[in-house]
Amino acid sequence: MLHALVGALGSTYAGDLSGEVEVDGRVGLLVQNPEDALVAAHVGRDVAFGPENLGLGRDETWARVDAALTAVGLDVDREHLTVALSGGEKQRLALAGQVALRPDVLLLDEPTSMLDDASAARVRDAVLAVARDRTLLVVEHRLEPWLPHVDRVVVLGPGAVVVQDTDVAGFLAGPPPDGVWFPGLPDPEPVPVPAPLVEPASSAVHALAGVDVVLRARTLRGSQLTQALSGVDLAVRPGEVAALVGPSGSGKSTALGVLGGLVRPTSGTVTPDLRRARTRELAALVGWVPQNPEHGFVTTRVADEVGRTSERVGRTVDVDAVLELLGLAHLREANPYRLSGGEQRRLALAAALAHRPGTVLLDEPTVGQDRGTWSAVAGWVRAAADAGATVALSTHDDLAPRDVEVRLDDGRVVA
Amino acid sequence: MTGAVLRVNPLVLLAVGLGSLLGSFAVRDLTTGLVTLAAYALAVVLTVPSWRYPLLCLLFCSIAAASVVWSTWRLGGHDEAKAFTAGLRILVLAWPGSVAAGYVDPARLGDHLAQSLHLPGRFVAAFSAALQRFWSLVREWQELERVRRARGVGPSRSPLATLRYAAGAAFALLVQAMRGASRASVAMDARGFADAHHRTWAEPATWTRADVAGLAVATGLALVPLVLHLT
Repeated sequence: MLHALVGALGSTYAGDLSGEVEVDGRVGLLVQNPEDALVAAHVGRDVAFGPENLGLGRDETWARVDAALTAVGLDVDREHLTVALSGGEKQRLALAGQVALRPDVLLLDEPTSMLDDASAARVRDAVLAVARDRTLLVVEHRLEPWLPHVDRVVVLGPGAVVVQDTDVAGFLAGPPPDGVWFPGLPDPEPVPVPAPLVEPASSAVHALAGVDVVLRARTLRGSQLTQALSGVDLAVRPGEVAALVGPSGSGKSTALGVLGGLVRPTSGTVTPDLRRARTRELAALVGWVPQNPEHGFVTTRVADEVGRTSERVGRTVDVDAVLELLGLAHLREANPYRLSGGEQRRLALAAALAHRPGTVLLDEPTVGQDRGTWSAVAGWVRAAADAGATVALSTHDDLAPRDVEVRLDDGRVVA
Repeated sequence: MTGAVLRVNPLVLLAVGLGSLLGSFAVRDLTTGLVTLAAYALAVVLTVPSWRYPLLCLLFCSIAAASVVWSTWRLGGHDEAKAFTAGLRILVLAWPGSVAAGYVDPARLGDHLAQSLHLPGRFVAAFSAALQRFWSLVREWQELERVRRARGVGPSRSPLATLRYAAGAAFALLVQAMRGASRASVAMDARGFADAHHRTWAEPATWTRADVAGLAVATGLALVPLVLHLT
């Protein structure tokens, strides 16, 4: 629906378009992933992209750039490298890019779903500070923080039909619509997963001792070293869910990758050391659910996707039972790339874990999910640990299941 | 190793590539080829910040050159001099340009293409933004590699399986790149790009004395094989 309002349907995205879209004034769009909005290597030049498109003169352009950066509270100079910004800062940069255009209507597509709570709050404050007399339209799963600031709530059902369109008081008074994170509802129950679907043959303690990881973001024009982890000690035991928490960019995903032998530590020891394991050996031991579900797809059919890793490591898996459990049975023959976001997330989980690995690693598994998908993911995680697997996940979702919590900040374990 | 290549005007870098391409046609004997290549090598050593990337380019260009040497030798009556000249010509044609292209700053290139060469603004802005996104593909590839390794379909020791793996991962990268491109194009259009018929440029495109000197060097290098050929 947002894409229809900015006029991208039928031009950028293929498909049949019928009916009419009416928009009055200039429309600005803040997309879910701020990386998609980056057009330049330097902060100033990136914000200037909009004013350049409007055909403004140099003085006016730079005046707007500086004003926009101030308005969103991004306190860096124009020459600051965009790649060096954190997730929350990038989203505020993208917002500055919109502010510089002075839009009449501001559309936000899950603008905070990839951020931790503190960064999300800062982005939200920045949005509300610049929204004032503008029309604001937010698309969001976790809608509670927005409710005090909006006038109307529109609930969309499957096929994007309008299920409900009321003011906020009416929305809160009415019955909670299906699958919506309605304020005040009890936390969703994890789906019960039968033990035979997740029970590993064996599992092991995974431990990091004094692990440092230095990541190098390299371009020919210069490289940027980031200390992703420094001196991390960490152990995850069979039968236990360890949640790695902390702000965006604190090293959660990197720590998971090191645990699973997927990221090479710069120094320190990792047990078991899987860095040199061959692909089938590694797959037999470790299941890795990536943050972007599409990164994991290796076949063109949903059923094949679920069975592929089991074939490779010589295990049998009841594909239909897994699909049934995750609500994907009717999509058995479909192409993984054609599923919706929530369906892709559930399929990626099944694809990575259906072969019952002893170690289960999940990178931000509950980001941007409706309640149904959330329950499926949480249920699988809980069941795998109960069946004896070693489970670790990175998350900034307070509801995600956990037995132990490891808090990372700036690459160090702080609690 | 001065890193001068990072400060020079991007059009000068393109001129180096174009010059070597045109100059390579004058490489007709072994001496010319060797001297020209040595001249470019000297220029590269004096201007780049690190030797790794130029060597990598040299490796890839050498593969192309070696295949030309082989086929010329086979089909050209087993004439070694002729074969090696043909190989050197390929190196002179491709290597300097591939090195220079790697150091181009997309934003500055955009400024110059639009303001110095007066190419259409929309095309230039899209081109510059696309170049900017190139490096995110490297990160995307690493992520794909990780996931595939953990799924048991990572690269293995058999060359055939590795080839199949590379093809599959390349396809996935292509899909990701296209999805990323459509998301990026929506984001750009929402920043006024959709109706930007008369773009302005936030930075001027300036020519410094160093740029003029760089252009002179690029021209000089391009003339090396021609001069050697005529004398």
